[in-house]
Amino acid sequence: MSNNAETLLRVENLCQYFGANRAVDDVSFEIKKGEVFGLVGESGCGKTTTGRSIIKLYNITSGNIFFKGIRIGAGIRSYQVAIEEAKKEYKEKIASASPEEKTRLANELKKFIAARQNDIKKARFDQKNCDKEYSKKLIQEVKEKYAPLLANGDESVKKDYRDALRKAKKAKLATQIQMIFQDPIASLDPRMTVREIIAEGLIIRGERDKKVIDEKVYQMLERVGLVREHASRYPHEFSGGQRQRIGVARAIIMNPELIIADEPVSALDVSVQAQVINLLSDLRHDLGLTILFIAHDLSVVKYFSDRIGVMYFGKLVELASSDELFKNPIHPYTRSLLSAIPLPDPIYEKKRERIIYRPLAEHDYSVDKPSLREIAPGHFVQCNDAEFKKYKAMLK
Amino acid sequence: MENKLHVKNLTISFRTSNGKVQAVRGIDFDLAKGETLAIVGESGSGKSVTSKAILGILAGNSIVEGGEIIYDGKDLLKIPEEDFHKIRGDKIAMIFQDPMSSLNPIIKIGKQLTEAMLLKGKARQKESRETFDKYLKALNNRMIDALAKDDPEKAKALTKKCKDFDTFEKKHIELESAYNRAHQAASDALPEIDTILFEIEKKAFTDPVERIKQVKKLALASINEWMVTGAAAGEVRTATETIVADTKIAKKEGDWTAVYENLKILRRVLAEALSFVQPNFFSMGYYLTFSGEKEIPKLESVEELNAFLRKYLDDNFMLSFIADAKSAIAYSAEASYKEMLEAVICLKKYRPVFEAEKLDKKTSMEAYQILAKEIMETVDCLNIVKDSMVYTFGSGLRSEIETYFHAIKKNVDEVARYNKQKAEYDRIVAKGKDPGGEVVPAAVTDLELVRDNILNQIDRMIAHFGKLVDNKETRDFEAETVALIDFLKENASGIVNKITKSMAKAKAIKLMKEVGINNPRKRYNQYPFEFSGGMRQRIVIAIALAADPDILICDEPTTALDVTIQSQILELINKLKRERQLSIIFITHDLGVVANMADRIAVMYAGKIVEYGTSEDIFYHSAHPYTWALLSSMPDLDTNEKLDAIPGTPPNMIYPPIGDAFAPRNKYAMQIDFERQPPMFKITDSHYAATWLLHPDAPKIDPPKIITDRIARMKERRAEQ
Repeated sequence: MSNNAETLLRVENLCQYFGANRAVDDVSFEIKKGEVFGLVGESGCGKTTTGRSIIKLYNITSGNIFFKGIRIGAGIRSYQVAIEEAKKEYKEKIASASPEEKTRLANELKKFIAARQNDIKKARFDQKNCDKEYSKKLIQEVKEKYAPLLANGDESVKKDYRDALRKAKKAKLATQIQMIFQDPIASLDPRMTVREIIAEGLIIRGERDKKVIDEKVYQMLERVGLVREHASRYPHEFSGGQRQRIGVARAIIMNPELIIADEPVSALDVSVQAQVINLLSDLRHDLGLTILFIAHDLSVVKYFSDRIGVMYFGKLVELASSDELFKNPIHPYTRSLLSAIPLPDPIYEKKRERIIYRPLAEHDYSVDKPSLREIAPGHFVQCNDAEFKKYKAMLK
Repeated sequence: MENKLHVKNLTISFRTSNGKVQAVRGIDFDLAKGETLAIVGESGSGKSVTSKAILGILAGNSIVEGGEIIYDGKDLLKIPEEDFHKIRGDKIAMIFQDPMSSLNPIIKIGKQLTEAMLLKGKARQKESRETFDKYLKALNNRMIDALAKDDPEKAKALTKKCKDFDTFEKKHIELESAYNRAHQAASDALPEIDTILFEIEKKAFTDPVERIKQVKKLALASINEWMVTGAAAGEVRTATETIVADTKIAKKEGDWTAVYENLKILRRVLAEALSFVQPNFFSMGYYLTFSGEKEIPKLESVEELNAFLRKYLDDNFMLSFIADAKSAIAYSAEASYKEMLEAVICLKKYRPVFEAEKLDKKTSMEAYQILAKEIMETVDCLNIVKDSMVYTFGSGLRSEIETYFHAIKKNVDEVARYNKQKAEYDRIVAKGKDPGGEVVPAAVTDLELVRDNILNQIDRMIAHFGKLVDNKETRDFEAETVALIDFLKENASGIVNKITKSMAKAKAIKLMKEVGINNPRKRYNQYPFEFSGGMRQRIVIAIALAADPDILICDEPTTALDVTIQSQILELINKLKRERQLSIIFITHDLGVVANMADRIAVMYAGKIVEYGTSEDIFYHSAHPYTWALLSSMPDLDTNEKLDAIPGTPPNMIYPPIGDAFAPRNKYAMQIDFERQPPMFKITDSHYAATWLLHPDAPKIDPPKIITDRIARMKERRAEQ
């Protein structure tokens, strides 16, 4: 993968709060086209929430999510906070200022608030209308493409045009992001046949031709290592690994650019795990998929990902290419995480000592607040100034 | 090493609407004390069924077709449900795979944790009392038989000796458990104080009032005559008082220096107290009971005191008691051997009854009764290790005899049914109609086989007694005496130790902390739905450990957890195993987890054990293609090549394959693998595998490259360290 590949997904200062619970707190990363980005961390650290926020299962609290350069998610909380803080700041300033200063400051404040409120408006609009914008763009393209052809007035062209237009009208940006869920039993509707499950997305997108749908379903089934005959069966007739394959087929039939795989193999037997991992890695190479791979099994993540982000209690604490991360783990939490990986080597295992991570003892953030800083090319660590120096020295 | 559990030729099937599923097909293994045996295999290989059989919780449609599971002299497959109540959860506990379904959703976590502890506390007290009395009485009787047959004076003296033992033993336990409680409180208080000190330093002290209260409680509980006493006790009292008072002020004003200093004082006193030598409470109990003194003499140091008490005890009582007990045990053993020889004669005498062409019901049952009685008489009442063969002989023989006579009747019925249905079937076919099915063939029990089983059992018993009598000389009565006295002490402590509600709560909260649940006091009063999956699993583990079991069965305990927690839980299980000499059966599909845990590993496939060995054997010298496949299908941190996934799915166990069950998925399969089942080939003394590849005539095949590479890499890494 080259470094100058196009950025497919950019997450900026993503925050997702559930009441007082900061599930995701100020997380930023980019995913390049064609790469596999792994997200690891213990349960409850916010990795699944991050994935779900990206696919817009939640409305985010603050931050921006850009997919193919279009803002698909935007939060307003940060602007609200900015307004409140500005109000407080100016109140003090105004109290101690001379009369003519006062009016100037008041105007300044008004301007500032108006600008932020404009941002909020925009964010609300984008959050709601990103799909509409996208489909408008597509309709425009279709119209331009068919304008010269329609002039000839051929019936079949007209039908094609109508079809294309309908699809463009229903097109949603979000369908280009698909998700594979952890539990292959719970994520498939038991009352739908495999054909219905896999074709559902296509139908919603506006595909009406039965033949095309069936053909595509069969193609996908064969792609994921099942056979045509499976299409008319129900999910309960399949084993766990086969069900997960159905989940994969359902995701890739939409021709997505990005797949969010949320613990796709943790509910499976080891031997089946290998089958599904092999399948995903084949698909990735054949279809050029970009994958956000969320998992807690570090061996699998290491095997599968190009870059890895480590999350701890809603924060991204370290981000690096997977070889670099495993070779030079910097953040104490990452070290503790890596020291917990079990290896198939009894003699080594009996001597292995787990490093315990105690955030209070490790960091002193009472004065200097930490942020995500680049410590080596492509290697980011959450740290403050003092730690930055310390970590830098460690790398040498 | 002492074996805790034998599983012999266990065979289990399930009735389903499609036919009989053969889940477990004749597996054998032993579990030694303090050992971890890992059972590894894919889902459907029968590993969970095996564990459920050990716990006696098989589903209603299961059929135990044969075999035995012997624990503590009992065959768990044959004992009634009533007896199982005493074993399940108490002696053999289980951590279930699915934490969602193994907790009661409408009962608070705290109650679920303490329930078993409280129930068990009561039951144990009663049970300990019974065992203690039974063994002490037996010992007394045997002492009299051995040493004072015609001497009533001496017999009286011996009886008094046993009674004395009883009296001061309990005194000793009282003293000791008071000391232990104090010791425990102090050692609990220290880390808590450390955390608070640390948090004050970092200015992140949360929930101060509640936690300081807890420290005060623990610190005051640690005051004991032999730990924190005199001046130190005064210091602890004043320090805690000031800390509590200061905390209230500090909470308002935010200045924690005073609390900090006082906590440091408290910490110093407690740490000092914990470093003291423990006095010998056993001899102390004796001294207080018999010397007539009310107080223990004040001596320079605890070491001196111990020496003094020890000497007093030996001079006055213990040495002679041990000597007497030893002769009683020797006498009892000798008597038991005599009984055994008689039993062998009796067995030989009644064997012909069962050799007959057709057994007679009346004579057979009479013979069984005589034999069962005779065999039970060989039991040595002073031997604390129960001989499982002797205890199960009677019930086993009886069930075989019953099977025989039941089968005679059933066979006739079955043949009649078959003939009738067959005639009906033929009639329909003759009419040219479709009968819509087949006639189920007559299930006729082979009487010969049952009779052979009976004879086998008798022969085995004769051989067993022969072996015991032959090994007579090797017994070490010295060690057995010590073991018996320890056993009595253990039961005495069971009588004295009561478990109250608050104790159970304290223990539960400690356990919750141990398994890594933050803020256990608050969590204690919550319902299961308020916990996440990982947290629930920890609760399940805590419940299993609360009962202090002998054998712990872990059925995929960490599959749902992430690495850090997984590693914590595994460490916890390992620690408990070391501390409590726990025997563990660890069931998983993930070989990676096992490397850290297992002493021995059994790899299961399609209801059979296909490979069996120490964890080094399995990871470094695995021999079965299925083990290879498992090992090569999981990535490790250095894997870059494509994974070797196992093709296909496990076989349908309604129609198990004739040959090696793994053959259809095995790329090394030979013709014979499809035709005949491979026997267990011995590789080394500890390592066995069932694959035809090990047959001398088979071609030599190396394990897949991905495994050999990994082993080489692991070797390098170890060399580097």
